[in-house]
Amino acid sequence: MRNIYTISLLTFREALSKKIFLFFFSVSTFVILVFALLFGFVSAESFSGGFVNSSITSFDNSIANGIKMFIIYPLYAGGLFLSIFSVAGFIPTLLEKGNIDLILSKPVSRPQVILGKFFGGTFMVFSNIFYAIFMLWVLIGIKFSVWEANFLLSAFTITLAFASIYSIIILVGILSKSSTFSLVISYMIFFIFSPILSSRDTIFAFINDSFWKSIFEILYYIVPQTSDLSTITTSLAVGNSVDSFNPIIFSFVYIILILLGSIFIFRKKDY
Amino acid sequence: MNAIEVNQLTKIYKTSKKSIEVTALNNFSLTVKKGEIFGLLGPNGAGKTTLIKTLLGIVFPTSGTATILGSPISDFRIKQKIGFLPENHKFPNYLTAEQTLKYFAQLSNVDVKNVGLQIDKLLELVKMTKWKKTKISKFSKGMMQRLGLAQAMMNNPELIFLDEPTDGVDPIGRKEIRDVLNNLKNSGTTIFLNSHLLSEVELVSDRVAIMNSGKLLKEGTVEDLTTSKESYIIETAGNFDSNILLESFDNISIKLDSANKLNVNVKDNLELNFVIDKIRKAGVNIKTISIQKNSLEELFMSLINDERRGEK
Repeated sequence: MRNIYTISLLTFREALSKKIFLFFFSVSTFVILVFALLFGFVSAESFSGGFVNSSITSFDNSIANGIKMFIIYPLYAGGLFLSIFSVAGFIPTLLEKGNIDLILSKPVSRPQVILGKFFGGTFMVFSNIFYAIFMLWVLIGIKFSVWEANFLLSAFTITLAFASIYSIIILVGILSKSSTFSLVISYMIFFIFSPILSSRDTIFAFINDSFWKSIFEILYYIVPQTSDLSTITTSLAVGNSVDSFNPIIFSFVYIILILLGSIFIFRKKDY
Repeated sequence: MNAIEVNQLTKIYKTSKKSIEVTALNNFSLTVKKGEIFGLLGPNGAGKTTLIKTLLGIVFPTSGTATILGSPISDFRIKQKIGFLPENHKFPNYLTAEQTLKYFAQLSNVDVKNVGLQIDKLLELVKMTKWKKTKISKFSKGMMQRLGLAQAMMNNPELIFLDEPTDGVDPIGRKEIRDVLNNLKNSGTTIFLNSHLLSEVELVSDRVAIMNSGKLLKEGTVEDLTTSKESYIIETAGNFDSNILLESFDNISIKLDSANKLNVNVKDNLELNFVIDKIRKAGVNIKTISIQKNSLEELFMSLINDERRGEK
């Protein structure tokens, strides 16, 4: 455990040293400050253009939900875009000659190295996302007296989406030692494959061939279900309950399997 | 118990074109005793780094066995007692010298309470105290090498592997590193040294091995390897007619090194005495007789050239 913690800590530092994470943090801070100023100067009624609902609680909730939705979409897509970009180089850097030799010459097992890298990167992203969500939750709570805990849970689902893609980045990084290749694969999964596969039921309406339907179905379980996690994140943000926990359970199992595969390959490689 | 025991170790690399195989280690066997400085020599691509990497579990052997400090190389916990300075090592460049040493100390399971003192002691030893709080991205090659050496000593290792430790270090720095190695040896640490700098290896090593194409060519103490037991230099007091003298030896190889120096190759002491008697009978006055010594470099070149001729 101590070795995993030490490598995680160094990965956390490595992430901090990358300007992209600081940029993410700065943007989050800027958005928080803008909302703080806005909430300080503008009354709750003004958010609806002067229209006041008969039920003040329901009105505050709708405004708060509107703001949450306004935040959660860019945080999910933009936050993950930046996070993937900054962690794509972690494994290729680790595997560089002169670096991997040093780490493997220490009393550290190879699985510990991979797990340390995984937890360090994931914790860094979680910290950034949780910081943004928690601060906005506090601001919305103070302004509208809406203390919806589910909004905080969305930080975990965003992190879970990141972690499932990060596990793929680790696997591809070990196989290819290329950060560019890891990046391309991750973005294709996040922006193309996962959204398409998530809406496979709609696509099935246009396909009669059962072979292609099976292919889509298989791919759905091979590619991380980040789009389904995005839907859950949005539901949680606005205080709704989660319809299906399957994507969450699937993502956990998926991460474990991909990490086990990565460790299996890493344990057999010469460096 | 020996510090290192290598038994018939073979490592074959498969290239991206699977049909091409490179044999980096070929039934390689070696023993390194505890407490000695052992120098491993060989040209580029001889398999020196592969041997170290195999011993440290960075590369997996194709066949054969090896132990380090009595434990099989597959046991990663033994590395707690080992230090390693790889060639062209890379440290995280966003860390300072102090943070780098602390990180590697933690990975080596060094007691947290002693880390601070150990860092100060080692930075002092490698003359880097002034740069303790400086980010290593600002370090020169020589400074990186010194920090690398400190890193390898963080856990007070029983066995330390150094791959080209003086690479990029100026002559004064090299002398300082040699002193550090001698101090380590005096404290009982076994040192396994890989270097291209033959003169340096000759200066510090107790025993050396020369390898090429994954095979061990020669192994022994520096004294044994550089001393040719069959070759003597006979220095005379004055000049003499060399032609007459040289013609009188039919089966013994005698060469004139200079006007008053003869290089004699003999089978044994009896033959040496026979040569001396003949020279004395010829009226030549002998001043000194000494054993011919070769430098490690001469031996190295001769072995590698013989090996290459054999390959052709």
